Amino acid sequence: MNTQTYVGKSVPKLDAREKATGQAIYAADLNLPGMLYGKIVRCLDFAHAKVLKLDLSEAAKVPGVVKVLGPKDVTQKRYNSGVLDLMVPEALGEMLGDIEDQHIFTDYVRHQGDAICGIIAESEEIAEIAAQKVKVFYEALPAYLTAEESSHPDAIQFDARKPGNRAFQLPEQMFPGNGYGWGDVDAEMAKADMVFEETFTLPKVKQCQMETHSYVALLDQSGRLNCWTSTQMPKCVQPKLARLFDLPISRVNLVQTTIGGGFGVRLGMVCEPETCAMAMAVPGRPVKVQLTREEDWLASESRHPGKYWMKLGVKMDGTPVALDARFMASTGAYFTHASGVPFTTGSWLTGMYKYGAVRYKGEAYFTNQAPSGAFRGYGNPQTNFALEQIVDRACNALNIDPVEWRKKWHKGAGDDGWCIGVPYSSCALDECLDRGAKAIGWKEKRAKYANQTGVMRRGVGVSVMNHTSGAMPMLLEHTTCTIKMNEDGSAVLTLSCSDLGQGSHTVLKQIAADTLGMPMDEIHILNNMDAAGFDIGSHASRTTYVGGGAVIKACEDVKRQLIERASIRLGVDKEDLELKDRQVIARSDASKKLSVKEICHSGVYNFTNPANGETNGVPGQIQGYASHFPAHNSPPFGACFAEVEVDTETGEVKVLELVIAHDIGRAINPMAVQGQLEGGAHQALGMVLTEETRYNDMGLCRNNSFTDYKMLGPVDMPRITTILVEQPDPIAPMGLKSVGEAGPVNPVGATANAISHALGIMFTEAPITPERVLKALNP
Amino acid sequence: MKTKMITLCVNGKDHRFEAPVNRTLLQALRDDLKLTDTKYGCGTGECGGCTVLMDGKDNVCSCLTLAVEAEGRHITTVGGMTREGELHPIQIAFIELGAIQCGYCTPGMIMKTAGILADNPNPTEEEIRKGLDGNICRCTGYEKIVLAVRRASEMMDTAQTRKVGGMSA
Ligand code: FES
Ligand code: FES
Repeated sequence: MNTQTYVGKSVPKLDAREKATGQAIYAADLNLPGMLYGKIVRCLDFAHAKVLKLDLSEAAKVPGVVKVLGPKDVTQKRYNSGVLDLMVPEALGEMLGDIEDQHIFTDYVRHQGDAICGIIAESEEIAEIAAQKVKVFYEALPAYLTAEESSHPDAIQFDARKPGNRAFQLPEQMFPGNGYGWGDVDAEMAKADMVFEETFTLPKVKQCQMETHSYVALLDQSGRLNCWTSTQMPKCVQPKLARLFDLPISRVNLVQTTIGGGFGVRLGMVCEPETCAMAMAVPGRPVKVQLTREEDWLASESRHPGKYWMKLGVKMDGTPVALDARFMASTGAYFTHASGVPFTTGSWLTGMYKYGAVRYKGEAYFTNQAPSGAFRGYGNPQTNFALEQIVDRACNALNIDPVEWRKKWHKGAGDDGWCIGVPYSSCALDECLDRGAKAIGWKEKRAKYANQTGVMRRGVGVSVMNHTSGAMPMLLEHTTCTIKMNEDGSAVLTLSCSDLGQGSHTVLKQIAADTLGMPMDEIHILNNMDAAGFDIGSHASRTTYVGGGAVIKACEDVKRQLIERASIRLGVDKEDLELKDRQVIARSDASKKLSVKEICHSGVYNFTNPANGETNGVPGQIQGYASHFPAHNSPPFGACFAEVEVDTETGEVKVLELVIAHDIGRAINPMAVQGQLEGGAHQALGMVLTEETRYNDMGLCRNNSFTDYKMLGPVDMPRITTILVEQPDPIAPMGLKSVGEAGPVNPVGATANAISHALGIMFTEAPITPERVLKALNP
Repeated sequence: MKTKMITLCVNGKDHRFEAPVNRTLLQALRDDLKLTDTKYGCGTGECGGCTVLMDGKDNVCSCLTLAVEAEGRHITTVGGMTREGELHPIQIAFIELGAIQCGYCTPGMIMKTAGILADNPNPTEEEIRKGLDGNICRCTGYEKIVLAVRRASEMMDTAQTRKVGGMSA
């Protein structure tokens, strides 16, 4: 084994220099010869309407307009921009009820921002002028903004396949009673000494990635459809586009540009279908589409809002005898992630504590809002807000310390995991709780802030969470990786894993460098979708875990070949050889060695001596390969502590400090791990304090801009202390566990609990805005 | 739309071109001059992604500035921060301290930092946070950006590095 030199170090991101100098290329930065501009014309005045007539004639006459495309001018195929269909077997997909219900351009508007037609023009300005000349005549329909409204028996049905506008519920065939869990919840609940019941309201939160959705597409002269996109799922979008446009995958060239933030919003297709449809209409000319911020907000997905009902039964000693829960999510206008999120929201719930019995029901209903979809955490922040608050309420009533209660009742290694039937492989939550509590001064502050009466009141709160590293065995987990050894011993690592800015390419290279025992700067990462094999994409906090596993396997394949060749050349047993300092050396006799460079070089430059027919080494360029399916999902846990100060006169909540202790297993790049937790905290605090996409009665968005949708700024962010708890997971590659998706989860519950510690009031509606605080204080 | 010949001095180089009078500086940079290092995040002055530096000291949102207004001023974008391949201390600090994730906010953040430090070479943490207000980052929680600004100010203090911006001869 080589001594590790990169793993565990805060290596700066590979692409940081390009980004710091403005040289990283995002999709909107592309300028191709002969490029045209596409504008997607969207319905802005209605959230629910039928298009009675679409008149494109005036728009087509604008000088510089090349083509206008209505719904009939593009493929009539329907699609689902989500990718669950590629992640589960077909039969399971059918059981979950996934449907294809989106059109490239529609004549039935289901949310404000639905795409009506497309304009292709010589310049962006011309496309915009022409867009103003499109005449659409609508028949307005009533807008349904919540699951309660759309599930009303008189409501218009969005899709004949989904009666009652219920897009999803846990399937009866899999889960009798449409719920999962264990034990007899009703019987156990009856045994409880105290029962706590509450309905929590979760907001529609936007990812707000800083790069708006942008693309270039080109149907080239060879008949290949090229699409430049910052998708986080390139190997899912590629086959989806192929299917939509009836092309073999080999004729879809998907080029992943630098990703300006994703957080789930690019999980699947977004406007690739519209952009590609426009490019198909003008063969030979590239078409660029760049969404405005307002448009991005209306057209792309958000976190699932909804109502989360929960009932917790406990004994006087704190024993959680039963938990009953139901999440009624609004999935918005289209199906997309209607099954995925309501499903996993319960996984984090059932995976957290050792309830005597638990039952979770998850449902999703269509509404006339922009579709809900994937957002970092995938249901976990919603669960965190509800579950962690109801636990604290029980602890308060029973006078049990919330940290102690959690230590006693959280699930751990060997317990049934978030995916029922798959036990947890490790758990360092106790250490997270202990170290976090110490760092924030839990005991002292908890006592000190009890029963305050002044204007400014402080509180501390705690929250715990579990998550996953990859979605195995629930969803397909597969990453391929190739390592080609150049003739000078340097290497090219080819894979299709996405780097959304979290630094996954950097950590994958760190892993490769250490496994091969070579310097990072002699390894090049090639992220080319034609050259690279499959990778499911960046979701479920999987890239370092599954990608890392693939990289290690491919490196081991290279090592095996190096050792085999050295064995032949040196006449030494393979078992006696090891790779050290870029040489293959015999353990028994250090004078017997061959450099990696020599082995690689003679494999490529392999000459035959005409005199004797001998060659100068073993022929063939070395290439390591792995097609990796991980054996587990090594779940990370985490504990978060928040200290807040509430101004009881203005209702304002200021988070003073966050301590985030994360069960990382092994931190491949500590600085990158911290970055995930800190950035995640920003999203979590936004969800719990300020962020919500709001609509008026007609379903028109009221705050699709950064002025009206309040994210916390640099001044509002608290001091953040991150604690990386490193107890290597026994199954994971290098013992590592995930962090990305965990980021936006825990500060949600910790902050909510700190607020109720300060005020003695539990807030069931997020975000906990000053208005809500004042209303609660002055009922 | 009425057009006008204008000359923009960007990163020390003059560019003369014809632009509609309503052209924003951001559009002029990105679309007319194909200098795409300055980013669009909102187009309405809300995100700071398009921040550039004027005359080596003043920050503006290029999406809110008309190209014609920028005539006669020295505009520095992030692409002009590097000299002869050598990174500016602000860039070094951002890279080394992990202040860059997706990097989309980075050009604006770096130019904002240049403006903050031109005005106040040794800002406190509070002054840094106030100074950065208006530039949104969705990846980092600002934590490492604040550290990087602090580090940059120290580096510029000790090393006799050149002044920020003011790139023209
Ligand atoms: S693009 Fe100028 S401030 Fe956002
Ligand atoms: S690094 Fe992504 S927005 Fe700042």
